[in-house]
Amino acid sequence: MAERIPAEQSAEISENDIADSDFAEIVRRHQSAVFSIALHFLADRSAAEELAQDVFLQLHANLSTLKSEDHMKFWLRKVTAHRCIDYKRRRKPPQVSLDDAPEPVAPSHSSDPLLERRLQQLVASLPEKPRLVVILRYQEDMRAEDIADVLAMPLATVKSHLQRSLAMLREKVTRAIGEVTI
Amino acid sequence: MTRMDNDMTRMDMDMNKDVKGMDDALKNALRRQEAPDGFAARVLARVAQQDSPQKPVHRDSWLTFLTQPIVRWAALAAFATAMILGVHVYNVRRERAEGEAAKQRLMLALRVAGSKLQLARAKVNEMNANQTRNRQVKE
Repeated sequence: MAERIPAEQSAEISENDIADSDFAEIVRRHQSAVFSIALHFLADRSAAEELAQDVFLQLHANLSTLKSEDHMKFWLRKVTAHRCIDYKRRRKPPQVSLDDAPEPVAPSHSSDPLLERRLQQLVASLPEKPRLVVILRYQEDMRAEDIADVLAMPLATVKSHLQRSLAMLREKVTRAIGEVTI
Repeated sequence: MTRMDNDMTRMDMDMNKDVKGMDDALKNALRRQEAPDGFAARVLARVAQQDSPQKPVHRDSWLTFLTQPIVRWAALAAFATAMILGVHVYNVRRERAEGEAAKQRLMLALRVAGSKLQLARAKVNEMNANQTRNRQVKE
């Protein structure tokens, strides 16, 4: 499939600029994004680091094919997303659907860390594709159109995944946490 | 505006607030996390490891393997065994060929001797027949 670069193109840099730039600096610039996508998807720090390292090794091998900073960002998100799905399929973890996710005992009051943690658990329990859509939307603040490009899926599917995931998350969070202001 | 309209408007506002609240909560929960300390250094180490040539190491290990005395002795023994086996097979084949040739010569000799005997018997029979005829004529 031909790669479509998101519309929000900004500073164009030449192939040579990328090739000549310090790879360590590139890693430092993007490590947080790549690691976080993997972490939110896998909910496992060591697995997320291993996967993120693999993504950067692949980036190093493909540096010369990337034409701009935005292209690199797009490429990193796409490769990370695909590697996350591959990793999960290879490992075949016990799949817990959102409906089967265990409910914690709902405390009468909740603090933000509790809500955050619960939301992370619920996101991690979403099916693979909807999980990636939610992560890219809320972690990377991407538009639905760009998510569709990165995941190579129709825009309508992305929107549908987002809507359904949000409805389920809201319902689960409300049931789990109780009456809290979110 | 009726009381029902007011209620509906309030509900819509609450729903919008919920959606906004959920968005914010998700953004907060899924905000970027810092990569572990030394992440970039580990990536660079793996890149360096990947870039280092692998084949010479492989070849070196082969050469090291071949220079071990036990391997050299084993190779020598294998060579000697192959030579002995080769000579043995050559001798067996040569003897078999010689035996075959001798057998052919014997068969030829037997065939020649048989035809000679046939001739001699025919001569003897002819002589006997002549003698018998002569005796009958005299009588």
